[in-house]
Amino acid sequence: MKKEISPTKKALKYMVSYGIAVCFLLPIIWMLFVSLKSEGFRVSRIIDWFTPPYSLANYFSVIQRAPIFRWMLNSFIVASSATLLVIFLSSLAAFAFSVIDFKFKNVLFVFAMAGLMVPTEANVVALFDIVGNLGLINTYPALVLPRVAIPLGVIILKEFFDAVPRDLIDSARIDGCGLFRIYWNIFMPLSKAAIAAIAIFTFIQTWNEFLWPFIAVMEQSMFTLPLGVPTFTDAYTPDYTIPMTVNMLASLPAIVIFLFFQKQIIKGIKFTGIKG
Amino acid sequence: MEFNSNKKKNFIKALPFILPFMIVYLVFLVFPIIRGFWMSLHRWTIVRKMHFVGFSNYIEMFQDSSFWSSFGNTMIFVLVSTPTIVLAGLVLALICNQKIRGKLFLKISFFLPYVLSVAVISSIMVYLFQTNNGFINMFLEDIGVISNGIQWLSRDLLAWFVVVFATLWWTVGFNMILYLAALQDIPESYYEAASVDGATPLEQFLYITLPQLKPITWVIVLLQIIFSYKVFAQIWLITGGGPGTATRPIIQYIYETSFRQNSLGYGATMSFTIFVILIIISVAQIVIRRKRSDVQ
Repeated sequence: MKKEISPTKKALKYMVSYGIAVCFLLPIIWMLFVSLKSEGFRVSRIIDWFTPPYSLANYFSVIQRAPIFRWMLNSFIVASSATLLVIFLSSLAAFAFSVIDFKFKNVLFVFAMAGLMVPTEANVVALFDIVGNLGLINTYPALVLPRVAIPLGVIILKEFFDAVPRDLIDSARIDGCGLFRIYWNIFMPLSKAAIAAIAIFTFIQTWNEFLWPFIAVMEQSMFTLPLGVPTFTDAYTPDYTIPMTVNMLASLPAIVIFLFFQKQIIKGIKFTGIKG
Repeated sequence: MEFNSNKKKNFIKALPFILPFMIVYLVFLVFPIIRGFWMSLHRWTIVRKMHFVGFSNYIEMFQDSSFWSSFGNTMIFVLVSTPTIVLAGLVLALICNQKIRGKLFLKISFFLPYVLSVAVISSIMVYLFQTNNGFINMFLEDIGVISNGIQWLSRDLLAWFVVVFATLWWTVGFNMILYLAALQDIPESYYEAASVDGATPLEQFLYITLPQLKPITWVIVLLQIIFSYKVFAQIWLITGGGPGTATRPIIQYIYETSFRQNSLGYGATMSFTIFVILIIISVAQIVIRRKRSDVQ
């Protein structure tokens, strides 16, 4: 359909496209190389960052100096329990909304959908008060539950459940299956793609969340990674090999997960269409 | 369906399915809104000594110059970052949609910063733009553009530039993915017909691509506005709201008022105001989305 383009144009196209891509990667690559430089390393030109010698000494030193694994563990506990709870609570509710014809169903569904519009950032002051009254400040549930309250999963899964053929339910009923078995044995397996997308999305969002943990957690031992990492960032130290090592350690899990699941993550964004 | 025989009885059956979610939803999402409004009508401190003051917090807010200046900063951020990051998303999507090798590499490069934590991207930016030993200044010195390091974070305009630059780098991949999906939805036959009629690539872009992207652009713009309105973490971590209070956004002012100056009632007042503004934007988004699906 298209005419052959000239070699110069083609070269230009490649140079611009890949040039921009490299600019996007450069800060991340730079972070990696800085973390591989030993503490006190003197740099006089840009290229010094990227040339050997390299060492992993910073990584050992960070691991000894800071409770970074504790923060990672906290982040992991918070993100994975939020993910599991979002999947289970949302899918249960979505199943009822999709399959059972109960009283107040439409009212309740619209009520749940309205929650999509509520920005949690504008709610943190009252949330702090409520979580404080429940005695949950500095606990995992404080970090997990507000994330689970977001109804996005319910809405997406209801769409998916609506597409499950209804004769499957009927034949399962004839075989004597109860509602829960139908949910668990038929609807959940048929919605794996949607569940995976929601799970990955929730995990990354919770893993990276800053404002709410910043308010709800004060003890260092309960810090998640996003709270612990900035305790190393100091705008005035000329030697930032250690902070960059902390950044690398904090980013590795997210980068690895992304590279593994990039297809699902990108698909997930397309059909959720929500941000931050 | 089999279950529609008795709606009331079915309600009992549905309860175990909807109740777990609904409880969490009510306590941690719905109740904070009501509680927030209630708090905004009181003097309220962290130790919870409180008394009812009616709407005087709202009156105080209208007279508070710090509220207006930080609200103004958020507005500046919204007005600058929205067109920039939406347009950049379109450009990156067009790059990925070309006939080019290594599309996956391009897509991953543009999207990768989005999966990093805001703490990490902020830290990288702080060092990238550091005055004496930062990457950018060192690079500019290497190529001989400057001889003394630029003080990126101590001048108002430069600090704003760094904040918008950081946000663009971090989040533009999201917009790119939405645009890319829309670009791939445009039927190839439109372009074939146009090139048979002798339309140049530029004409094809102007008269086919752009009009087809109009609906998704609305969605992206509104999502971007909502996202930008809530800006806090990257500014807090990169400039701290400075120099002075030049880049302090409204969420930061709410945070400082509530938790540093121990004035939760007033913080709740500003939160509720922002909440109402964001709800209005969200409703606009839904109305536009609905209109769009009606057309199709």
